[in-house]
Amino acid sequence: MSAIAADPDAPETDRLPVLSPMLQRLAAERATGALMRDRGTLYLADGQVVHAESPATPGIDVLLTTGGTLRHEGWWDAVAQAGAGHRVGRYLVDSGHVPGGALELCHLGALYDAAFFALAPTGTPARFRYGVAHWIGPVRPVPVAAVERETLRRREFLDRIWPDPACDSAPLLRTAHGTDAPVPARQRRLLELVDGVRTASDIAQALGRSAFHILVDLRRLAAAGLVEAVRAQPLPAAETPGRITLPEVTADPDIALLRRLRDALEAL
Amino acid sequence: MANTEAALKEAMSSIEGTTGVALVDYTSGMALGTLGGGKDFNLEVAAAGNTDVIRAKLRTMEHLGLKEEIEDILITLNTQYHLIRLLKTRGGNGLFLYLVLDASRANLAMARHQLKKIEAELEV
Repeated sequence: MSAIAADPDAPETDRLPVLSPMLQRLAAERATGALMRDRGTLYLADGQVVHAESPATPGIDVLLTTGGTLRHEGWWDAVAQAGAGHRVGRYLVDSGHVPGGALELCHLGALYDAAFFALAPTGTPARFRYGVAHWIGPVRPVPVAAVERETLRRREFLDRIWPDPACDSAPLLRTAHGTDAPVPARQRRLLELVDGVRTASDIAQALGRSAFHILVDLRRLAAAGLVEAVRAQPLPAAETPGRITLPEVTADPDIALLRRLRDALEAL
Repeated sequence: MANTEAALKEAMSSIEGTTGVALVDYTSGMALGTLGGGKDFNLEVAAAGNTDVIRAKLRTMEHLGLKEEIEDILITLNTQYHLIRLLKTRGGNGLFLYLVLDASRANLAMARHQLKKIEAELEV
């Protein structure tokens, strides 16, 4: 297993939006491994995307168990039996825990959901570890081009609903505005979890719904004036001069890994 | 028990007059699988656009205070039928099957019946 570090992914141009030049290169060389970016990881096999994970999105385990398709015990049984062999997906179906169609759709949902966040613009270099496979195992591989196209479509879709991304990542607050139209049941359940602390990702975890679905509903609620982002408090002025600059320990800090660690710790 | 690809294939082959079929996630508008269509009928565009049709109908029902669920929606064009069947999923995720039929060859009652059967086999 080897690892390479790449230049920061180039920013998008207006003419040809390339989400990740590195991803396209890996697809062209039919690489197998894990592409770790600032906000998530894409797993490739033979240049196709086989799974994706992001700290911003509920994992396939949450989608399956919170959604009621699978009991927690069933999930842990599958991980114990088939996790080491990287065949959890296959085992879930073969053991009768989850119907094949349901697993496939849930897996695709989780994959595109995490890919949307993993491919978000970032200034942090991406890394690729050759040979790494995900324990979920083969379900339904998706071409890189399809993932990139769908990710771009989703960005445009969100901006068409409400062009302000403030609600996507900040803690959320309900506004005092009343509503002149009834709020759909699905959005109502989301609205009940908006408490000034939770973010879109927290709500997705709690409801066991894909984070992108939550963003779609949130932007609709924001457009209707029912939800707004909590504005960040400006830092007290006294803290700024007292900041300690840390010495550079290594010439090659794995920033993507550090950020993932931080996100994981925060999620505990 | 069928996976999505098999279910789409069955829809194409068993429902007379079908020229395209898509399984769509209606919150995101993403086609989770498509079959048929072709270059003069982009099923992915149709999938994304028809989520707005469902959303508009669901909103109207909320406004009216109707506590019913949509089983299917039929759109009749000059030479085509478009049939949208909302699926009941265990996870509560909104999915729908979108079927494009050639009006001269299709039997609507039969198509609706077959689609119901395919939904049951899909076990989503």
